[in-house]
Amino acid sequence: MKMTVFLLLAACLQVSAKGYSQKISLSVREASLGQVFKEIQRQSGYSFWYKTKQLDQAAKVTLDLKNASLEETLRQCFKDQPFDYFIVEQNVVIRPRLVIVEDIAPLVQIKGKVTTTDGKPLGGVSVTLKSNKKGTTTDENGDFSISVHRGDILVISYVGYDSREVTIGDQASLEIALTESNTQLNEIAVIGYGRTSHKNLTSAITTLKPEDLNAGAITDVGQLLQGKVAGLNITANGDPNQTAAVILRGASTINSSQSPFYVIDGIPGADISLIAPADIISIDVLKDAAATAIYGNRASNGVIMVTTRKGKPGEGQVSYSGYGGLEKVSRNLKVMTAPQLRAFLKANGEAFSPSDDLGANTNWQKAIEKDNAFSQSHNIAISGGTDHSDYIASLNYANKEGILQASSLQRVIARLAINQSAIKDKVKLGLNVTYSNSNSDDVPYRSVTLLQAAQYLPVSPVKLPSGAYFEDFTTGGYYNPVAMTNNSTLNSKYSNLAGTLTALVKLPFSLTYNMDLSYQSYITNQGQYLDSYFTDNFNDMYNNPNPGLSGHSQQVFGQGGQATRAAYTNTSTLFEDYLTWDKHFGEHHINAVAGYSWQDFTNNDGFTVTTANFPADNISYNNLALSNPYGLSGYQVSFGADGLYNQTRLISDFGRVTYDYNQKYLLQASIRRDGSSVFGANHQWGYFPSVGVAWRLSQERFMLNQNLFTDLKLRASYGVTGNATGFSAYTAQSISGSLGTYYYDGTTTAALGATQEANPALKWEKTATSDIGVDFTLLKGKVGGAIDVYNKTTTGMIYSYAVDPILVPSGSVTANGGSMNNKGIELALTVIPVATKNFKWTSSLNLAHNINKIISLKNPLFSGGDSVLLADPEGAGQSGSTVEILKSGKPLGQFFSLEYAGQNSSGVSQYVSATGKLTTTPTQGVDYHYLSNAQPKLLLGWANNFRYQKFDLNIFVRGSFGGHIFNATRADLFRPATAQYTNILEDAAHETTADYNSYLYSSRFVESGSYLRLDNASLGYTLRNVGEYIKSLRFYVTGNNLFVITGYRGIDPEINQGGLAPGVDYNNFYPKTRTFLLGANISF
Amino acid sequence: MKKTFNYMIMAGLLTSMFCSCHKLSVPITSELTPNVFPQDSAQFIQAEGPAYVALRGSYGVEYFFMQTLSTDEEILPARGGNWFNSGENQQLHYHTWNSGNAYMESMWSWQSTIIGLATQEMALLNEDEPSTNAGKVTSIAELRTVRAFAYLMMMDLFGNVPIDTVAGSFVSQPASPRATVAAFIESEVKAALPYLSTAVNTATYGRATKYTAYALLAKLYLNDNYYTGGTARWNDCIAACDSVINSGLFSLQPMSTYFSQFAYNNGPNNGTLNPEFIFAIPENPTFSSGPWGFRGTNLHQRYDLPRSEKAKFHINFTPSAPESTIPSYYAYFYDSNDVRNNQWLTGLQYMEDGVTPVTVTTTNLGYDQFYTGSAPGASYTYQVNLTPDIILRQDVASFDCGNDEIAWNMGYRCIKFHPDSTSPSTAMNNDIPVFRYSDILLMKAEAILRGGTVTNGQTALILANELRAARTTSTAWINCTLDSIYNERCREFTQESWHRNDMIRYGYYENSWGFKTDANTQHEIYPIPFTALQLNTKLVQNPGY
Repeated sequence: MKMTVFLLLAACLQVSAKGYSQKISLSVREASLGQVFKEIQRQSGYSFWYKTKQLDQAAKVTLDLKNASLEETLRQCFKDQPFDYFIVEQNVVIRPRLVIVEDIAPLVQIKGKVTTTDGKPLGGVSVTLKSNKKGTTTDENGDFSISVHRGDILVISYVGYDSREVTIGDQASLEIALTESNTQLNEIAVIGYGRTSHKNLTSAITTLKPEDLNAGAITDVGQLLQGKVAGLNITANGDPNQTAAVILRGASTINSSQSPFYVIDGIPGADISLIAPADIISIDVLKDAAATAIYGNRASNGVIMVTTRKGKPGEGQVSYSGYGGLEKVSRNLKVMTAPQLRAFLKANGEAFSPSDDLGANTNWQKAIEKDNAFSQSHNIAISGGTDHSDYIASLNYANKEGILQASSLQRVIARLAINQSAIKDKVKLGLNVTYSNSNSDDVPYRSVTLLQAAQYLPVSPVKLPSGAYFEDFTTGGYYNPVAMTNNSTLNSKYSNLAGTLTALVKLPFSLTYNMDLSYQSYITNQGQYLDSYFTDNFNDMYNNPNPGLSGHSQQVFGQGGQATRAAYTNTSTLFEDYLTWDKHFGEHHINAVAGYSWQDFTNNDGFTVTTANFPADNISYNNLALSNPYGLSGYQVSFGADGLYNQTRLISDFGRVTYDYNQKYLLQASIRRDGSSVFGANHQWGYFPSVGVAWRLSQERFMLNQNLFTDLKLRASYGVTGNATGFSAYTAQSISGSLGTYYYDGTTTAALGATQEANPALKWEKTATSDIGVDFTLLKGKVGGAIDVYNKTTTGMIYSYAVDPILVPSGSVTANGGSMNNKGIELALTVIPVATKNFKWTSSLNLAHNINKIISLKNPLFSGGDSVLLADPEGAGQSGSTVEILKSGKPLGQFFSLEYAGQNSSGVSQYVSATGKLTTTPTQGVDYHYLSNAQPKLLLGWANNFRYQKFDLNIFVRGSFGGHIFNATRADLFRPATAQYTNILEDAAHETTADYNSYLYSSRFVESGSYLRLDNASLGYTLRNVGEYIKSLRFYVTGNNLFVITGYRGIDPEINQGGLAPGVDYNNFYPKTRTFLLGANISF
Repeated sequence: MKKTFNYMIMAGLLTSMFCSCHKLSVPITSELTPNVFPQDSAQFIQAEGPAYVALRGSYGVEYFFMQTLSTDEEILPARGGNWFNSGENQQLHYHTWNSGNAYMESMWSWQSTIIGLATQEMALLNEDEPSTNAGKVTSIAELRTVRAFAYLMMMDLFGNVPIDTVAGSFVSQPASPRATVAAFIESEVKAALPYLSTAVNTATYGRATKYTAYALLAKLYLNDNYYTGGTARWNDCIAACDSVINSGLFSLQPMSTYFSQFAYNNGPNNGTLNPEFIFAIPENPTFSSGPWGFRGTNLHQRYDLPRSEKAKFHINFTPSAPESTIPSYYAYFYDSNDVRNNQWLTGLQYMEDGVTPVTVTTTNLGYDQFYTGSAPGASYTYQVNLTPDIILRQDVASFDCGNDEIAWNMGYRCIKFHPDSTSPSTAMNNDIPVFRYSDILLMKAEAILRGGTVTNGQTALILANELRAARTTSTAWINCTLDSIYNERCREFTQESWHRNDMIRYGYYENSWGFKTDANTQHEIYPIPFTALQLNTKLVQNPGY
């Protein structure tokens, strides 16, 4: 086995032989072998490779040669030695002489070549005789030569590849192709500014291939990854226009920025909506700081690297993939039907108002939903290339109808990527242009519509016999949801253009230079119209926002229709270049990267206008000039939020060194110096270092004689990343802004004052992550996986800290303060229980456990920040009844509310007061208790892939366990006392109308959010080389969200886990759906 | 040669990488940074605005609740759980509030914000001192007066409060004793006085003038005895009142136009000012109240107008009307000749013509939720009849009258600020007076009765009768006691947020009314809210909480 070492060393060295003679003259007597070698080396230029110790056993040499050949010289030298030798290029490698016991069959020297299945030579492959375990290894060309007897069995084995046995017959030479073991070790991982194989990683990175991603009618990358990566908590609802909330290893900040940083084809900060799922070739999720720190102050929430398809040299290819799918609502809230509610009221001696009770039995939830929503997607790609160039062009069209009336998404993505080599392949230029255009429709005030649909009385019809919508405005905040949907429109168009020019220059001294120049523009154009019915009837309606710091607010619509138009452009310009030095010194391998990055952003360059009073509703938002806002007493044209436009700049220098010794000991260190204009003048620059080490135990000699571990690697890493997003670009500056309007001398005058205090000390948040991991492959690739334990602490959390308004009248200063910690463990496991020619079963499981804790919420300057009450669902009569708290020592999503203590003797719900007594009149904020929290304790993803001949079946199950949900939706529909005005849940039927407290937000409405979902299942059938023209053809059927096992009583337990107030079911859910689709992938 | 070329390329690339641009600054072109604002007189006016907007912020709604719902003037019970809001309003009525009551928090932060804003805007205006710009000097004096008024309100509600006057400081101050705060307010107003405008016209309407300052001082002096426990300052009060009276710029509205001064168009009309208004907060539904939201408006019609009378008053929304007076307060309106009786909606309701009854069609059960007769769902139409008493029919503990027509008709409603049919929303255009001339007259009368010296020949009786002549056709008083002044104040200042202050000064705050029996004098000062204690760790909770 030592030979392997020598061989590798030898193979790596390149010594020029020019100017040396091949004829050797040598005359020595009783010389040491070492001296002789030196002399031969001097004359021939050939180097000798040996261990000094070996020469201790050498016999003295006596020679007298004139103009002898090297071979002759060596033959004489080694004549009486216990050594043998062989030559690799200009190197003479010394090895112990094989003592071959003569056998019946004569020894033959047989040559062979070991390659991968695609023909690449494999060096360092062990070739041994099965009988005595003796043998050799291949050189860098994959060649080997061995003395064997006919009938011997050779075992050819190499780490990461399936071993093969070859019986020696009468072959003159052997051609052996090794198949890669089914192990992720050999996969390429895309890292920041480079790529490497998984076996060389010191960090926690999960790589996903297209076949690993979720199948279904998915237009959002987050949903493709749902459940697939241990530690990635992704929550999505049925809304076609909303991206999933993605949280990696627990929220690392209470700052609004919690989503991972996306890098698409090496371009940092690219917009993920640019990418059609069909164009993705791999997704790499960079989890620990050793992997992400190279992205410095944007990497705290993890980095997701997306790589798109490239053209391949060879014949041009055309491929099509597409599907059509049908969606249905999987579950609605179980509110009472008309007969149920009528019976309930009767039993309680109550009755509907005659104006409401028109004898209908309307299912209002169904009334605002479609029976079926259709989705389709078509992707055509043309690709090809030569040895010096490649290209790919693709066009994707996706159309996804939402399950709610008037909600849909249409998207077209066109992409062109060309690479061309020049100057003898020393320079490679690439051009990549992607354009994406989305057109989406939605319901304005959708969350209000959903709330109304849940609570509207079923005894009222959608429309009166006259054709007019039924309405009853005597009940406050009560609107016909169908009328709301049908009398309003909301359309958003997004177009996204990204152009990237890349250059790769191969330089001398193993250096490579990369340069990326990229431009992105993101244009949104939104129009909303509330028609005259809407504005005239629903004025002063309250909105129903997502849970967070602020509650609902009253909306003023004017009259005669109100239109809003908003158009904004975001642009970003990026210049990046870096030098890579990749060098092998024998068994040492160094890869070093040093680079520079400059990125400039202009955000929200545009405007919003809201105006009202149109002559006709069909004008909608298309011609604001026809509005007459001045004709409305007291109405004002609105220009949207103040201070949206901003410019920011990011400049960075970065470097990374990776070193490995014989792929056994691995070390990686990186540093990024990041500067950002968003920080205070004194703190614009920060350093983000990381270091990672790994040890591949399986490469050690003591692991040679075991068969359990095919590969085993221990990893440890530590690094610091930052967060420079989630707050306004000018947060550190002193700014005056609009503080309302007031009367001055007969006119309405703007009041302008300090809206923001200067904070020159504002700097980046720091997230320090340590990660210890084990990567393992067992039983020759039948089992593989990784375990990671991490500890992630964010300090100097950027947050709007509460300040006494007598000091800072805005009441808050955005500053660095509190800290947050996440600790967790992740397991990813892939098992291949069965693998035969016709049948293969692969099963992948990932589990993640995370504990999130807010350590502190204080700023050194201000005492405020801790104990922030938030998430106020604003149920009727419950304004200010928040259900969550931000508090040091507690996790994000800590429920803090009343503690339900059953009903008293009069049947009224009672609660535990602050002092521990029971009360029926609890006080907001005071009589609150810490309840459970929204953080799941265990996330699970379990994929099973079965392949039988031409059939493949994928079944993916995922789950979340131990988290809780505050079911405010249920509380608000749990009002037996007002059931004659608004509908209630079926299971509130056993409640009495005497319980005027029944609906109060309390522990009664905290439910387990655990669930197990059969997320998707696909059955496919693949045909290859169908006829002359079709290379491959695959048909498949996919079902999504086939069933959910849960005890949760709301619509769906998958409640948003992102943001400041996770885990509150808040009346504003988009219905979850079940989808069936039929798809085809064809390659020509 | 090739090597040299390679070296050159590499040297070039390395240079480009490591000597690249590292300039981070980006221009700010979309915000008002100190180098562009405030720089001229129009901007000075705008820079003063935030303090005025903030003052409007909670004056009309929550400050009104604090000064009114804690007295016998108004009560805001729950109706079927609606308006219960964690018992905030119930606590105000029973005097059982604690530091968790949301009103405490919103009051403390509101008043702190006015003070903080005024301080900050004064500093912004002062930035390029010394300034000789007259407009700027006046602006600073106005801000100082507004800040003093905020201190007066805050000290009146919470007792000891911190005095903060340094802009840009992040260091909290401990609370100063009430007496120190009172002295600070006096010195601040006096310091501002020389620079305040003496003009009373459209340009100074809604702004702090010299007369605002005198009225503020009069209020301070009248209560000084209670605030500081020190020597009574009745004559200082009288002198401050005289400074207003002697200006000759103010007078009483005659009976015929009494209500016009509270109507939706009570601001300056074609240059004509309301003669009684010394300082008012201009309201307008279209004003944007910034961080104060919709409560930075006059919302009386939302809280006081019965739901059934939307049509009668031609308003553009359905009011919720949970608020009414209490019979013991309504009893002050015994003089049938008094124009101020007309501010109340009582008994059977008729449309504008005075003949057509206001009716509501509901069900037997909708009318009375405790209905047990036959056909509870049968239609039932009745004429709205407002009843004087508040009865907690549904539940006493949760302060609940029930959620039926009977409950919604409980209590006499005040429409002194007449509903605004021109408004598109619940917000009204009716400006809210802070200091009125009638208050000056009654303050002077009270100061005289409490021991001050008569000036200008105006005795308490003469002053009281001067006011009564503009309010009632009944015969003039022949004698006038402190109690008669109190009764007159009840009639005159309903819904003007002075009643708690009056009750405490007269020692009536510990009386019983409605359901309230609490007589703890410590409740004359509200508790400091939790958040304030958290944000300023130097504060100490008030005694009794």
